[in-house]
Amino acid sequence: MFNFLEEIKENLKDSAGLDNFNLINLSGKLLYVEGHLGLVTLSKEIISFKVKKAIVIVEGENLILSELSDNTIKICGAIKKVEEI
Amino acid sequence: MKWKNQTTFQIHGLNQEKTLSEIAKVVTLSKINRENKTDTTFECPYLKHKKVEKILKNKGFQIISMRHEGILWRLKKIATSYGLVLGVAVFFILQTVAAQFVVQYQITGVDKQTQTEIVNFVKTNFSNKKSALNTKQVEISLMENFDSISFVSCMIKGQTLIVNIKEKLMPNEIYGQFKPIIAQSDAKISEISLISGTLTVKVGDFVRKGDVLVEPFVVDSSGSIKKVEAKAEILGEVYNLGASQHFSSRVEVSRTGKKVVQNSILLFGLEIYTFKEENNFKLYETESEDVNLIKNLPLPFKLKKTTFFELQEQTIESNFEDVKDEFIEKAKQKALQNVENCDKIIEEFYTLRHQSNATFVDYCIVTSESIEAFEGD
Repeated sequence: MFNFLEEIKENLKDSAGLDNFNLINLSGKLLYVEGHLGLVTLSKEIISFKVKKAIVIVEGENLILSELSDNTIKICGAIKKVEEI
Repeated sequence: MKWKNQTTFQIHGLNQEKTLSEIAKVVTLSKINRENKTDTTFECPYLKHKKVEKILKNKGFQIISMRHEGILWRLKKIATSYGLVLGVAVFFILQTVAAQFVVQYQITGVDKQTQTEIVNFVKTNFSNKKSALNTKQVEISLMENFDSISFVSCMIKGQTLIVNIKEKLMPNEIYGQFKPIIAQSDAKISEISLISGTLTVKVGDFVRKGDVLVEPFVVDSSGSIKKVEAKAEILGEVYNLGASQHFSSRVEVSRTGKKVVQNSILLFGLEIYTFKEENNFKLYETESEDVNLIKNLPLPFKLKKTTFFELQEQTIESNFEDVKDEFIEKAKQKALQNVENCDKIIEEFYTLRHQSNATFVDYCIVTSESIEAFEGD
C-alpha cells in the first residue's frame, strides 16, 4: 500500500531518527499526529502530548481533539504553533 | 436520526489527559472537547461504551451524562423497552392458539386400565380441537361402546377434557365364569350349601363323575333365565374300593437251572454259521441277544446267542384263613390310594366272596369330601 510519508523518508539520504513520530499540519486547521505516546495537556488553547524522547506542544484557539487512538491524534481548530521540546 | 453508532460521554474529574490516553489504547476516541479544567465531552463507538465506562469508573471519574446514538442503540432500546410487551404478546398469541385444543384427558370413576382404554377411544374417534369436540356426542359414544358404564358426563375445562364415569353396579354373582359345577367323583350327596346358580341334585342322590351339580343360571320370577356364576359347596360320600384275590391252589413255574445255548452268525440277516446244542427240555423259556461279531469291520457280522432255560411247574396249596389278614390289608392299601385328598373317613368295611377255588376281598373306605369342580378344570 502506498504510504506518502514512507516514500518521502526513502528519498532522503539520511533517514535515521525519522521513525519517532509524524506530524502533518493541514492549513493550520488540522494537525494529524502519528506515534504519540500519551496526552500531557488538554485545553482549548494548548494540547500537548508525548512522543519518543520529546513532548510536542500545540497552541491555538478553540482546539478540539477530534480523534485520539492508540498512536494517532487529530487536532482541529486554529493552530498557531507547533513546538517540540 | 444518526445512523452511526456512537456514545457521547460527559465526564467530570481531574487528570483527564492520562485517563483519556489510557482509554485510547483500547478504544479510539473522537471529538474530545475540554470545556474547562474538570469537564470534558468525548465520543466513542457505541459497542465499546461499556469498556470506556468501566475505565472511567475505575479511575474515579464522575460520568455526568452518557448519550447513545445510532441504529444499533435504537434496536437494542426497542428490544429492551418493548421486549416484555413483545413477550407477553407472543405468550398470549401462543396461549390463544393452544387454548383451541384439548391437550389433557382426565378420566374419573374407573380403574387405570379402563381409563387408558377410554382415552385411546376418545383420541381415536374425536378431534382434539375444542370447537369440533361435541361433549354430548362423546358421552353417547362412550355409553354405546363401554358396557360397564351406567352414567357418563363430559366437560371441557381449560385444555382438559374431564370425563366423569359411574360404572354399573352388578351383584358379585354375575361376574366370573358361567360354567356348571360338576361332580369330580362318583359319590352320594351328603350336604349342599348353594351360593348362586341352580341345583340339579339333592341330598341323598347318587352322582357319577362328570354329572352336573349346579347350573350357571337362575330363573327369576318372570321366568327369564339370568346367567350367574355357579357357586356351591357340595359334600359327598365317596366309596373308595380296593380288591385282592386269593387262590387256594396255584401253579408256580420256576427255572431248574439247566440251560442250552445255541449260537449263529448272521450277515445281513442271513444265517451263515450255526452251532446248536440239542434241546431236550419239555418246558422251557428262551432269551436271545444280538452282538456285533467284529468291531470296525465294514461287513456287519452279527452273533445271535439264544439260551434255553428249563422250567418246572409246582402246584402250591394254601388255606385262605391262614393268610386272610394279609389279603385284607393288601385290599385296604389299594383302597387307601384313592383317599389321599379326603376330608374325613366316615366308615370302612370289607366283603369276602368265595368261589370254587378263589376268594375275593373287596375293601371299601367311605370318605366325606368336597366333590364339586368346574367343567374343564
